[in-house]
Parts: sequence; structure tokens; C-alpha cells
Amino acid sequence: MATDHPTVDDASDGLPLPTTVASGAVAAAVLLPLVWLVRTALDVGLAEAIDISTRPSTVQVFVNSAALVVVVTVASVLIGVPLAYLTVRTDLPFRRGFTVAVSLPLVIPSYIGAFAFVSAFGPQGAFQRLLAPLGVERLPEIYGFVGASLVITLYTYPYVFITTRAALKSLDTTLIDAARTLEHSQWEAFRRVTVPQIKPAVGAGSLLVALYALSDFGTPAIMQFDAFTRVIYVEFTTFGRDVASLLSLQLVAVTLLILGLESHVRGNEPLYAGRQGGRTSGTVRLGKWKYVAMAACLAVSGLALFVPLGILLTWLAQGGAEVGNALAFQPAYALNSVGVSAGAALVATVAGLPIAYLAASHRSRLTEAFERATYVGYAVPGVVLGLALVYLGTSYARPIYQTLYLLVAAYVVRFLPQAVGSMRASFLRVNPALPEAARTLGRSSFGAFRAVTLPLIAPGLFGGAALVFLTTMKELPATLLLRPSGFKTLVTHIWTATASGYYGHAAVPALILLGVSALSMLVILSQEGYDVK
Amino acid sequence: MKDNRSTRRRVLRLGGAAGLASIAGCSGLLGNGGANGGGDGDGDGGGTGGENVVGQIGSGRSPFGARDISGGVSMAAMPDLSGELTLYSGRGEPLVGQLITYIQDLYPDLTIRPRYNSAAELVNQIETEGSGSPADVFFSVNAGSLGALKDRERTAELPTEVLDMVPDQFHDPDGTWIGTSGRARTIPYNTNELSDSDIPDDIFAFPETEAFRDAIGCAPTYSSFQAFITAMRALNGEEETRQWLNGMQELGLDANYPDEFLVSQAVADGELRAGFANHYYIQRVLAGRPNAPISTAFTDGDAGAIFNVAGACVLDTAADTDLAANFVRHLLSAEAQDYFARETFEYPLVPGVEPIGRLPTIDELNPPEGLDLTQLSDLEGTVNLLRDVGVL
Repeated sequence: MATDHPTVDDASDGLPLPTTVASGAVAAAVLLPLVWLVRTALDVGLAEAIDISTRPSTVQVFVNSAALVVVVTVASVLIGVPLAYLTVRTDLPFRRGFTVAVSLPLVIPSYIGAFAFVSAFGPQGAFQRLLAPLGVERLPEIYGFVGASLVITLYTYPYVFITTRAALKSLDTTLIDAARTLEHSQWEAFRRVTVPQIKPAVGAGSLLVALYALSDFGTPAIMQFDAFTRVIYVEFTTFGRDVASLLSLQLVAVTLLILGLESHVRGNEPLYAGRQGGRTSGTVRLGKWKYVAMAACLAVSGLALFVPLGILLTWLAQGGAEVGNALAFQPAYALNSVGVSAGAALVATVAGLPIAYLAASHRSRLTEAFERATYVGYAVPGVVLGLALVYLGTSYARPIYQTLYLLVAAYVVRFLPQAVGSMRASFLRVNPALPEAARTLGRSSFGAFRAVTLPLIAPGLFGGAALVFLTTMKELPATLLLRPSGFKTLVTHIWTATASGYYGHAAVPALILLGVSALSMLVILSQEGYDVK
Repeated sequence: MKDNRSTRRRVLRLGGAAGLASIAGCSGLLGNGGANGGGDGDGDGGGTGGENVVGQIGSGRSPFGARDISGGVSMAAMPDLSGELTLYSGRGEPLVGQLITYIQDLYPDLTIRPRYNSAAELVNQIETEGSGSPADVFFSVNAGSLGALKDRERTAELPTEVLDMVPDQFHDPDGTWIGTSGRARTIPYNTNELSDSDIPDDIFAFPETEAFRDAIGCAPTYSSFQAFITAMRALNGEEETRQWLNGMQELGLDANYPDEFLVSQAVADGELRAGFANHYYIQRVLAGRPNAPISTAFTDGDAGAIFNVAGACVLDTAADTDLAANFVRHLLSAEAQDYFARETFEYPLVPGVEPIGRLPTIDELNPPEGLDLTQLSDLEGTVNLLRDVGVL
């Protein structure tokens, strides 16, 4: 697939200094929270630390978490990639609408999703009551491994969907045409041309899924599945910050392991065959399969979206106790959510750009270390990261503690790899010969970047921004710890209702969360079209 | 005398409101300009607070509905509050927001900045913030979280006249925290399936009660359930508690509920015949569905009948200790105590303010002897035990 030998790769080329310094600074900044983790973990005595790390239950939860990560990741690829292909490369009707619907599960907080699934599909949940007239007494157990992997998959496959979609958007379809003229079948063309092209993007998405599955707090807790995070959660609720930190560091170690594994698997794949003056056309005709494809899209997004909404609405209809105006919705909550999420998406994209660029076009141990560093904050559970920033904020950044600045910084630390991964996959497919040509024609290096590279990576840029935006929309633990006093978002509002047991009152803000996110997604998608002819 | 005071406050508030309206544009600008300091939207949400509140203070009528309050001390008789107060509240906004707003609206010179989060997380936050904590007062759902802050020497002592407002067993013996409302451990049961006489008086008879087989549930990650097990460990020892838990598991205890409101809902739905829950969850189910087949049973003088408190403490980092202590005092006023009875279905702790609903009075409850609430902060041993026997 590589049309050229990778030239920029040569170490002799040297790293561009300003970009390297910027990348280094960003990487260092996102690693700062580790300082608190190590500091706090050191409060655990050595004997106790060894005891905790080696007790049989610790080993068991490690195995459990590992199984969860594998199953969720594989399932997400199996769902996300076909959906991405359908919405980009085929003549599927209502493609834009389906794209939004299929992306939206990302904004459903996992504790809402898991709670709804338990309520709906629990042994004697709403679904059983619906089936009761047919003589169904009890549904199969949803708690445990099956439920946890099902729910996490349903709410994380959009990572794979969105990153893969960005890669497919900028796919040079002339290559596929070429393969077809060489008498490859549609499937062979997909396997031999498309797959290698989208592999880095699928890899970036799967990595996000894997690390999410590893660090999710809410779902395993509600699904009664003994994952690693459930143990950390119990420590936190019993004020064992030190042990919780120690366990979180172990989680970071596992993360590094996964990152190492992924680096190994993804190998060296410079793929300078993105749309560089090629074209994207010739969508695949689905024919009768159209209906099957639409049903698949509907089924996946329907299960992920309508189950929680249905359950919340049922609770609302059942009526709850009269509550004061604390649960009255105010439009400001939606504006706050969109504001901080847009801010986080923007900052994460800007901060991630130099790292993604270096990691893709100047491969070295250093640039790879920068890129991998961004994943650490993402793999640490939100509460842990939030507390680490509470420490850093009160100790070193008092003036911005409990202000929006630190809050947005927290989001960026948490979600930066989502932007980096998506952008890196795009950069990988830019042929360095193109910006070089622009430079020989007299452009400055920045000018060449803006005129040539940027339009080529635009889908990846917006894909990454969309991921950061959607996940920030639903972020809760760090928001609760770091928001300015009295600052309310859609998700804190949902939390306010559910935490006090007023589940029904979470329905309206959850609907608004979906509505606002859908609108924002449409805006982001309309920008995606910004590219070269 | 009281009436005069309240009239003066009313006038001040009205004047304040009018003044605010006339310079609304300005204050909006100011609010934006002072980005870091301001921006708390809670102060101005006083719409509902206002309508059922005005003019009732000191008249003996409850500001939160039509009920006479005879006992307790009215807010009008308490020191005025002025200044800025950061309140870390582990109690949810739907439960206490209206009360906070009410106190805020009472004093034109007072700004309360509430931060809501779970009690455990706020304890972690306060501990992590260290001496840089902006928190003045911590308002908690249970004595355990207050005890945890005391153990970490983060609490300031409360004045004796505040501590003396509640009976001795409801405040820390060293005076670092005070209970503001009470919650009894109860057994919610489904009245279609069971009657009161089916529920044993002795918690240790539960594992042998066949009526509960595969139909009794609990929320093991929930702090009140953990407090109940902690109490059992303290009263009956580790071994007996372990046997009890094993026995309950053999009976088919359903430990899958995330919180006790859902346990109570499941009992009302008939999904469970009985459960373990704080008393107010049953009242809350009934408030939403008055005819739900659920009722309250109590065990007698054992861990199943402990009486825990929600409470407050002043933090060592409080900027103005007097203001903070006087704010806590307001939580013990007749109005606030009545509010807890009426809005959160809890037990008032100040003698003279009665609970509402189909509940026995505080004197009719039979909590175990020889257990003080500070013993309930040792959750670690409980969690280890729960994990060990496989409930958690």
C-alpha cells in the first residue's frame, strides 16, 4: 500500500524542535496526576502493599478485568467497523441520521446504561413483566460478566465507529477501483485494500475501548461484576485513599502493558495512500441488503438508546415523590455542558496535534513515548484523576482550583488520547511528498501544513474532536470534584436526580443530553466535509 | 418580639429583592466579570423558597407547610448569619437544597456556596485538599463520614450551646460533630406477602426464617447497610456476624441492589418480600405511591435497629468558625428540624419536633444499648468481612 519509502522516518532528519518541545510539554502535563498517585500510594506500608497485591482476590479480579477487556474490545470492533463501512461506503439511506444515532450511545453515562439494563432485563425487570402474560417467570441472569460486557460494549463501540469512519472518509477509492479492475471481488478489495488502510484507525478506536473497559467504575459496580475498579471503588467509599491509589497504580501498569501490546501489534504502518488528490466516490450499492443494513443500525442504536430512555420514562410515568425546584431543568445546564465540552474538544485537539503529528511522521522512541503518555490519564478512573487534580490544584494552582480552567484541563487530561489517536491515524495516511512539494513551491512549513496537510487530516481531526466532545458531555466524577461551586451541567443534573433516588427525574435531562449531543454531532459532521476535491 | 424580628427581615429581603431587580443588568455584568469567585447559581433559585415561606417565621407555623411547631428554637431567635460560607454537602440537593436556599434567603449578607457530591467522596476531597480546603462546613448523610474527618483531625470543636441542642447520644462525645436528623434501620416488607408478625424481632432469627427464602434483598455497597453490619460486629463480634451473613446467603439473600431506595421499590413491587433499608426510603416509596403494599417493621434492641444520624461538622480550615458553627446551629432550628421530618421523612433530633408519617416516635424505637455512633466509622473491617463471605 505504501507508495513511497518512508523518508521522514529517517532519524537523520531530526525532530522539528518547536513541535517536539510542545509535545513534550503536553505529555509532561498529562502525566502530572501520577505524582499524587505515587505520593498517596506510598502511605501504604510495604507489607500491606505486598499483601494487597498478592491476595488471591486481587489476582481473581485481574483475570476478570482482563477477560472483560478482551471481550468488549473484540465485540466493539465487530460492531463498530461494519457500521462505519455502512454509513460511509454504501448507499445506505439516511446515512447522516444513522451516523448520529450510532455515535450517540457514547454520551449515555455508563451508570445510567447499566442501571437501565438491570431494570429492563433483570430477572424480574420491566421486560420480564412485559413477557409475564406469556408465562415467562424469570429471565436469564443479566448480572455478572455477560451483562457487564454487553453494556460496556454498547456504550463504547462508537469509539471504533467514529475513528474508523474518519479513516474511511478519506479513503482513496481509486485504489479500490484498481483492485476491482484486477478482478478482485468486493470482499477481496475490502480485505486487501480497505482493511490495511483503516487498520490504524480501528486500532486507535479499539485501544480506547479496551482502556475504557479496564477503567470503567459504574458498570461493573451495578452489574455486580468483580472487576478491578469495583475493588478500588469500595476502597474509596471507605476512605482508603492510599490503598485506592496503590490499586490505581496497578491499573496504570496494566495500561502500560496493553499499550505495549498494541504498539507491538500495530507495527510499522506508514500508509501514504489517503485521499491525496484521489477521490472518494463509487459507493457500494446495497440493493436488497439495504433493509438488513438499516435494521442492524437501528437495532444497535435502539438497544443502546431506547432501553435507558424507556426505563427512565417508565419511572417518570410511575411518578415519584414531589420534589422541590432542585430538579427543575434550566437551559443553562445544557449550555454549560456544551460550553465545557466544546472547550475540552478544542483544547484537546490543539494540544494533541503536535503529538499526533510527531508520532505519525517522525517515529522514534521519544515521539512514541509522548503519544503513549497521553493514554495514562485516560486509563485512570475518573475519581482517581479528579482527586489527583484536586491535590495539584490546591497545592500548586490555587487561583484556578474549582474554576472552569482546571475543569477543562481535567477533561483534556482524561480524553486527550481520543483526539491524538484519531489524528495520528489520519497523519499516517498523508504522503509526506505532498507537503514537501508545497514547500518546493515556496510555502513555509506552516503554510504547507495549513494548505496541504490540514485538509487531508480534517476528517481525523473532527473525528477526534467529536470523541472528546461526546465523552466530556457525559463525564461525571471529575466534574463533581472540580466544577466551580454551583456550576451545573446536564450530567450533574442527572446525577442529582439519581443519587437521591429520583430516577424518573433523570429522564428529561437524559433526553436533553441526547438531543443536544445529536445537534452538536450534526454540526461536527457538517464540518467534516471540509476537504480537498 | 419574635414577630418584630421577622418583620424586619422581611422588609430587608423585599428591599433587597427590589434593589436587585433594578440593577439586574449590572449584577449580571458583575457576575460575569468575577468569573472565578461568583457563578454559583444556587443563590438566586429562591422562587419556591419564597412563596411558601414568607411571613410564617415565628408564628409557630412551619414554613414548609401547614403544621404547628411547638418545640425547638426558631431561626429568628438565633444569631444572624453574614459572610461567605462554603458548604460541602454529602446530602443531595433535592433533599436539602430547599432548606439551604431558605437560610440563604433569610439573610441578605449571607452567601452560601454549596457543593454537592457523595459524602465519601467529599471526605476524600477534603482530605486531599489538605490545608488548602475551601470548605467551611461538611454536611453528611451519616456519622461514619463525620467520624472519618474527626479521625483525620480535620474537624473544629462546636460550641457547647450548639451541642446541647440534641440529646448526648446524637453528638460526638468530643464535640467535633453533631447529628441534625436521624434515620432508623428497618425491615421494609411487602404487605401482600407478609404481615408484621412474620418479621422476627431478633435480627439473628432472620437466617432461619423460611418466609424470606430467595425473597429478601439488600444493598451491600450502600453506606447505611455497611453501618448496620459494622454495628453487628461491634455488638456481637466478628464471628457471629460472619455466621449471620453466611446464614443469610444460604437463605438466598439478594445482594444485587445499588441502593436502599431500590430495595424498597423492589419490596413494593413484590420482587422481594422483605429487605434491609433505612426507614425513610419506605416513606419515600409511599409518598410516590400511597397505596403501595409496603410497610415498616423493626427489630428489637439489636444491630438491625440501630439509629444513625445525618449531621454536620465545622472544618479546621473554616475561614470564619463562628459563622460556620452558627450555620450548623440553624440546621437544628425548629424550622430545619420540621423540614427534615416533612421533606426527607427523617427523625428530628431536637426534642419537641415530632416525625411525621406512620412512624413510631423516637422514644418508642428500641435501638441497641451500648453502641455509640462513632463506632460506626470502622467500615474497613466490615468491607473486608463482606468481601470475605462473598456478599460484596
